[in-house]
Amino acid sequence: MDAFWNVFLWGYIYSTVIAIIALTVYGMATRPHLVKKLILLSILSDTANLLAVMIGMRKGFIKPPVFPGISYTNHPVANTTQLAKFADTAVDPVPQVLVVTAIVIGLAVLVFLGYVLILLYQKYGTLDVRLLEAKITGKGGKK
Amino acid sequence: MIGPMEIMIGITALAALFSTAATYLAVTEKDLVKAVIYSAIQSTIYAFIYYMLMAPDIVLVYIPVAVGLYPAVILVLIRKTERWEKD
Repeated sequence: MDAFWNVFLWGYIYSTVIAIIALTVYGMATRPHLVKKLILLSILSDTANLLAVMIGMRKGFIKPPVFPGISYTNHPVANTTQLAKFADTAVDPVPQVLVVTAIVIGLAVLVFLGYVLILLYQKYGTLDVRLLEAKITGKGGKK
Repeated sequence: MIGPMEIMIGITALAALFSTAATYLAVTEKDLVKAVIYSAIQSTIYAFIYYMLMAPDIVLVYIPVAVGLYPAVILVLIRKTERWEKD
């Protein structure tokens, strides 16, 4: 029974995450406003980060990857048994480190894209892609 | 028997459902300020999910960046450009 609930709930969580990815990709493809596309891009990158952290989470590994028993004043070299016990219960720290880096890089990308959008608006007076197409190419788009 | 692991996964599943709803509202909303607010709600739920998935270090980075700075940057962008998305 426990195994069934575990499998069901994990499958449910993975399917909601994949549904969010599908929703954001659909929104980025169909919504005409560039700021809306930027908002959805930030949601998409957050969801990809969440997926990475979920891959690092395994059944039975229910502790954060912080080694207990070490302080600033007292830091003995841990023995192998202690380390093995810790590694048997802690989640995988590598995806978490990568995600912390990716969050900060995502913020930098967002600020850069926002600056580009401000320049576009100052030059063409709109951020709607149909109007932008009409103004840049001189044909097509929404009249 | 329901242990702490099952309760943790159940809360995570509920939060994932709410984040899907917030994402749907952010996609369909025409007012960009409201869309940013829905995105911030979704980020708050994600921070909760990170905490439930045993990643407290990510929560410490994610809350100021995704709940504070992302909406602030996009709100400044909307203030300097335009607010409404037309059909």
